[in-house]
Amino acid sequence: MTARKVLFFVACIWPSIAALDLTAQDLENLQIHGFATQGFLYSSHNNYLTMKSSDSSLQWTEGALSVSDALSDKLRVGMQIHMYEMGQFGGPNVLIDWASGDYRFDDRLGFRAGKVKVPFGLYNDSQDVDSLFLWVLLPQSLYPDDNRDYDLAELGGQVYGGLDLGTKAGRVLYAGHLGNNTLDAKGGYMQNLAEMGLTFASPPSGTVYGGDMRWLTPVRGLEVGASAANYTLDGTGPQGTFHLPGSIALVYYIQWNRGKLHLAGEYYRDPITPSFNTADGILLVPQDGRAWYPMIRYDLTKKLQVGSYYSYAVNKAADTSVPENYSKDWVVSGRYNFNSYFYGKLEGHFLHGTMLGYYQDTNPNGLQPNTSMLAARLGFAF
Amino acid sequence: MRKISLNLLLLAVSLSVHCAIARAQDVFIIANKDFADSQITSAELRSIFTGVRSRLSDGTRVIPVTLKGGPVHEVFLKNYLQQNPDEFRICWRKAVFTGKGSMIRDFSTEAALFEYVSTVPGAVGYVSRITDPNSVKILTVIR
Repeated sequence: MTARKVLFFVACIWPSIAALDLTAQDLENLQIHGFATQGFLYSSHNNYLTMKSSDSSLQWTEGALSVSDALSDKLRVGMQIHMYEMGQFGGPNVLIDWASGDYRFDDRLGFRAGKVKVPFGLYNDSQDVDSLFLWVLLPQSLYPDDNRDYDLAELGGQVYGGLDLGTKAGRVLYAGHLGNNTLDAKGGYMQNLAEMGLTFASPPSGTVYGGDMRWLTPVRGLEVGASAANYTLDGTGPQGTFHLPGSIALVYYIQWNRGKLHLAGEYYRDPITPSFNTADGILLVPQDGRAWYPMIRYDLTKKLQVGSYYSYAVNKAADTSVPENYSKDWVVSGRYNFNSYFYGKLEGHFLHGTMLGYYQDTNPNGLQPNTSMLAARLGFAF
Repeated sequence: MRKISLNLLLLAVSLSVHCAIARAQDVFIIANKDFADSQITSAELRSIFTGVRSRLSDGTRVIPVTLKGGPVHEVFLKNYLQQNPDEFRICWRKAVFTGKGSMIRDFSTEAALFEYVSTVPGAVGYVSRITDPNSVKILTVIR
């Protein structure tokens, strides 16, 4: 089923749902929701995220449909299918975004098993749901769209819950997870490996485990937290093997929502040393990835939001003066909600450095160190 | 005579608008009669209506319900959650699309919401006026 067929299907069923006055079909506890978006990129120089953005590109279409049912007070099951086409990434196939059974004993303890979204930082588990954000592109230093299908979810289980610390100390939310994950055959990591001359019969896979702790402080709207994730990867191909030993990625985050003002920021570190064992010998490629961003959003009216962020990423294990080892992105953005379902976004990017988002295939003549880019997105959700 | 009538009409419209605004300054928080307590803290209420908690401190399960939209809905969101309708909707959509929760139940009219709260154990919601005070429990919010 192609992306456009999925969107056509969603568009076809939408009037029926609206006619039945079921903004989200709700037959007792059964719920059906969905969203669809169309993106646009125009860049001054380089082609971004494998789209022909320097010629202006509409090669960015996404949609999802979620079905869930509460079987009892404590047990809920559900599934979400998702498709995306972003330049050479994704494709016409419909993927399972998440599919899980969720048993909540009470607010202090619950379990979730199946294909579950990974809690990491402020937005990892929601980064593919465009309707939630002001931004066309989240800070790519932490939430790279080309790699999100690997980062988003794992096959495994989660334990989660929350604890009251008293009226003067707020509340703590926690989550722990363990599972297995496989690189997306049509994602950015595989494209990077292919550009290094490594191909695989089946994409590398490995274990993932970690946790997240979030403190909802007694200061209204202020949340701080930290997440950690340990992941391994192994793959074998005609040219040799690829191995990523266990490495821990850490992120610290803070956000503050107060009336019309919303502030957020994260700091991330991910030191890894992948190894490639080929006929030429063993090659170790140490990397020390660090990233951070501050973000501000202001609600000008009920329908109009504006904001800005500065996203920075660097590989400290390499020469940080070389553009391919860093990425800096100044962003200004606006979003207008036409109604409860439809919205539009417009965003300007001022990119310096080429560490993130660029691929040889779509930039065969090399990369310019700086790029300006206009991004837009139209979407609806129900 | 026509001018006097017009002035009276304008006065009546003005008064009714004024009364509507006055009514819309706050809402009644109502719960099913099985609620053990008739008080709730603002922090608890906020946690319940943002999906952070599904039970009260004493273990009672709660089912939050809202209106689909309108001034009463907006007053509730502003006074008790410090959110606008879009923020509130996004908060619940996040739970739905990440597989962590279900969308909050909402109603087109206050009468339908009131009926649901009065008949479903654990239900909690809000209305601008109480039509039958004996069928629900009116909660006092402790700030």
